[in-house]
Amino acid sequence: MSELFVELFSEEIPANLQINARNELKKNIKNFFIDNQIKFNENFNVYSTPNRLVLYIDKIPSEIKLNPEEIRGPNVNAPEKALKGFIRSNNTTLEKIFKKTTEKGEFYFFKKESRKIKVSDLLEKNLSEILTKITWNKSMKWANYDLYWGRPLKSILAIFNKKPLNFVFNHINSSNKTFTDKSLEEDLKIFNDFNSYIKFFKQKGILIDQDLRKKIIQNKINEIINKKNLKIEQNERLIDEIVNIVEKPAVIICDFDKKFLNVPSEILITTMQSHQKYLPTFDKKNNLTNNFFVVSDIKDTKGFVKLGNERVIEARLSDAEFFWEKNKTQNLVKQVDKLKNINYFKGLGSYFDKIQRMRKLSSVISDDFLISKDKIEIASSICKVDLMSDLVGEFPELQGIVGGHFAKFQGFDKEVCLAISEQYLPNGMESKLPKKMYSVALSLSDKLDSLVGFFGINLKPTSSKDPYAIRRMAISLVRLIVENETKIKLKDLIVYTCSAYRDQGYDFDTKKIQNELSDFIIERLKNYLKEKKIRQDIIESSTFLLGLDDLLKAYKKSLCLNKNIKKEIGFETIAVYKRSSNILNTEEKISIETLGFADPGLFKNDYEKKLYKKINDIRKYFLSIGKDENYEESLKILSSIKNEVNDFFDNVIVNDEDIIIKKNRLELLNMLCKTFDNYFNFSKIEA
Amino acid sequence: MVYKTKKKTLSFQDTIFNLQKYWSKKGCVILQPYDLEVGAGTFHPATTLRSLGPKPWKTAYVQPSRRPTDGRYGDNPNRLQHYYQFQVLIKPSPKEIKKMYLNSLSSIGINYEEHDIRFVEDDWESPTLGAAGLGWEVWCDGMEVTQFTYFQQMAGVECKPVSVEITYGLERLCMFIQNKKSVFDLIWNDEGITYKDVFHKSEKEFSAYNFEYANTDNLFKIFEMHEEETKLLVEKKISLPAYDQCLKCSHVFNILDARGVISVAQRAEYIARIRELTKSIGKVWIESQS
Repeated sequence: MSELFVELFSEEIPANLQINARNELKKNIKNFFIDNQIKFNENFNVYSTPNRLVLYIDKIPSEIKLNPEEIRGPNVNAPEKALKGFIRSNNTTLEKIFKKTTEKGEFYFFKKESRKIKVSDLLEKNLSEILTKITWNKSMKWANYDLYWGRPLKSILAIFNKKPLNFVFNHINSSNKTFTDKSLEEDLKIFNDFNSYIKFFKQKGILIDQDLRKKIIQNKINEIINKKNLKIEQNERLIDEIVNIVEKPAVIICDFDKKFLNVPSEILITTMQSHQKYLPTFDKKNNLTNNFFVVSDIKDTKGFVKLGNERVIEARLSDAEFFWEKNKTQNLVKQVDKLKNINYFKGLGSYFDKIQRMRKLSSVISDDFLISKDKIEIASSICKVDLMSDLVGEFPELQGIVGGHFAKFQGFDKEVCLAISEQYLPNGMESKLPKKMYSVALSLSDKLDSLVGFFGINLKPTSSKDPYAIRRMAISLVRLIVENETKIKLKDLIVYTCSAYRDQGYDFDTKKIQNELSDFIIERLKNYLKEKKIRQDIIESSTFLLGLDDLLKAYKKSLCLNKNIKKEIGFETIAVYKRSSNILNTEEKISIETLGFADPGLFKNDYEKKLYKKINDIRKYFLSIGKDENYEESLKILSSIKNEVNDFFDNVIVNDEDIIIKKNRLELLNMLCKTFDNYFNFSKIEA
Repeated sequence: MVYKTKKKTLSFQDTIFNLQKYWSKKGCVILQPYDLEVGAGTFHPATTLRSLGPKPWKTAYVQPSRRPTDGRYGDNPNRLQHYYQFQVLIKPSPKEIKKMYLNSLSSIGINYEEHDIRFVEDDWESPTLGAAGLGWEVWCDGMEVTQFTYFQQMAGVECKPVSVEITYGLERLCMFIQNKKSVFDLIWNDEGITYKDVFHKSEKEFSAYNFEYANTDNLFKIFEMHEEETKLLVEKKISLPAYDQCLKCSHVFNILDARGVISVAQRAEYIARIRELTKSIGKVWIESQS
């Protein structure tokens, strides 16, 4: 059995491109082996450091046997030239060509004997194309070359069965050599197998395997935080990025001046994480500490790295502190007027215009939520002022959060501050969801105003493009409503938002916006339910003919049914429904019109009467207020009819000779289905 | 190549001398700063225009750079509205450019084997120049000291061959070398003159000009005048004088931006206007290169 070992050496490839390249290479090489029916160890891995993309697969046969095959050539009536071409291209002679009749006529054939092919030959022939197939999210050209790659590609090492594979990839010839130093690219070394390669680099402290690097970094960090009684936030994205920007990780714990802890922690954390890729630490009470981790790519033997990084964070935090001190005292209310100078969106006015609309909208929502109108109006008025601060200029990702801190510093009500701070939440499917009613109200009015605005100026997302992240906005709106069990009249709110725009002179077509937005939001609800792993047929049923005001109902119903559909109560209820509706469906085909009620006077036996009574009991239950919102209970009630239904079907023949009796029985079944439909559209559920 | 690093701390001006000497030995044409206000070394025609077209080109120079919005009246230890960049441009990008760069750090006393030198993803885009490139910011122990960019597009034209641009932030670099927390404490020369002695007054006064006194009515008019002039010169197909006029537009725009008189929507529009000028100049320049 043989091994394939390839290393692509380049200048430093960014973390996300590296991860993507690993996946792409893995996929492409796997497809190659499968397409060519070559056996290989399917548990193979692709590794990378910033400079090296490494592929290693073992358990590959060195030869594969191709079965004999008959290759069809030209039709026997085709000109002789075609036959000659066929003979030439198959590298054979006229004697070996034979005629054979197929469905499409008589053709020349050539029988290719079974033969053996060296896998190394196949690889040499195909590797270049396998590499070409790697797609980069972002790629570049360099020097005079035409090749696009994540960063300049310098050399390719390719080994099969301990021997070099020779192929040409654009301007680069593969070989059995690579550069052992990433910086100067001076020392070339020959490698004939993967193990000696890994061993060689390990001796230099370089870990090719990203998972190993991750483990080592995490172990080292855990060791230190345990000793120091600290915690770190589990931030997979950041850790993965760090893992992929070093080849020989060294974890260093550093600290900054405690005085900076007076600055809001979000600002400090953002500075450390997104600007410097540091890992902040927290004490056991989850308060930020002045210790932080740097993962260096070099052993800090002289202490330069620690010193340097501490100086950098000092300078960065000084900047942040300077802005915080300056901005926090700038009166939020007095600055509101200045929002007139800041454009919200072309065609949708300034931020001042936006907050006027949001104020009206949130005030209406406050009636539904039974929260203070004054407070939510204040929150709406000042919520965008932080956009003008230096801090948001420096840390755009902290918009809202910074505003909340300003408000807190200036003595605004606690709920107002929180609402400002959470106004952009949730931001999509995964993000944190505000729970407090003021926060929900502000966030709802922000999102509704944006959605109506963008639909109003016809900037709806298309199937492929959504530059303003409008889908995410709508998904966030859906989450606000369903996850918080918010009872609002969304339809009316959309109309109201349109009128707020109209008051400012925007000529929006309310009817059109309402329809389009309604479809759009319900579509997002479906996506949302899909993400929640709700069965597709349940999603379709629960959103069938759904009104915008019933998002919450649809959500709860589908959750309930999804949970119970595999349980006895679920499939029994469906069985009852299906048994009845199947008969109705066949009868409908022979066009018996049902009216929706049965006549008790026409019942012939107790089974009919009992079923009729049960149906009416259930109907009564659903009529009592609020009962229809306890979906678990309702399902139980519905399933309780199964005895009556089974008795009915076991003892009563629907298809009575008397057409009137028959019709009455169908009416009874129809009543049953209608009752079930009130709760849930079972007809779309696959049993 | 081994550089003797003297024991004494390298002064600001020695840092410049060493970089000039180093890149001079690498075959670069050492130029002097361009004599117009620009926002970065990239705006020097030796980079913008020379990076376009097929002819090989190597240059290095110091470029005083003006960013009116970054002024802090000399109060902030890290921010200046006027600072120096050391710029290297080589076309086509040489294979051993990373080695050249790392050795250049040695020439100014930074031993890359003792520091955590990191090439961190940083793709570059200049909307006014219609330019884009891929590359890194180079970190030395967590501090960004250099921008390293492979130009992919300039003045709206695809670069062929591709140039590599290396931009050292001289103040940052020297703060690192001299171990200073404030830019104003940098030692300028061996006589003990500091950065503060040379530039503090200027930071203070220009911040006042940029943020308070610049006559915006006039500047709006001046912008229009230079824009008109650029268009005229493009018609006459003289790209270099046209580019000068365009640079003036760009600087006037930067001051107006600092004065806070340009709204977001207007901002995009002004940037687009400057980009159109750059593009038209790029076209004229390329025609002259083939």
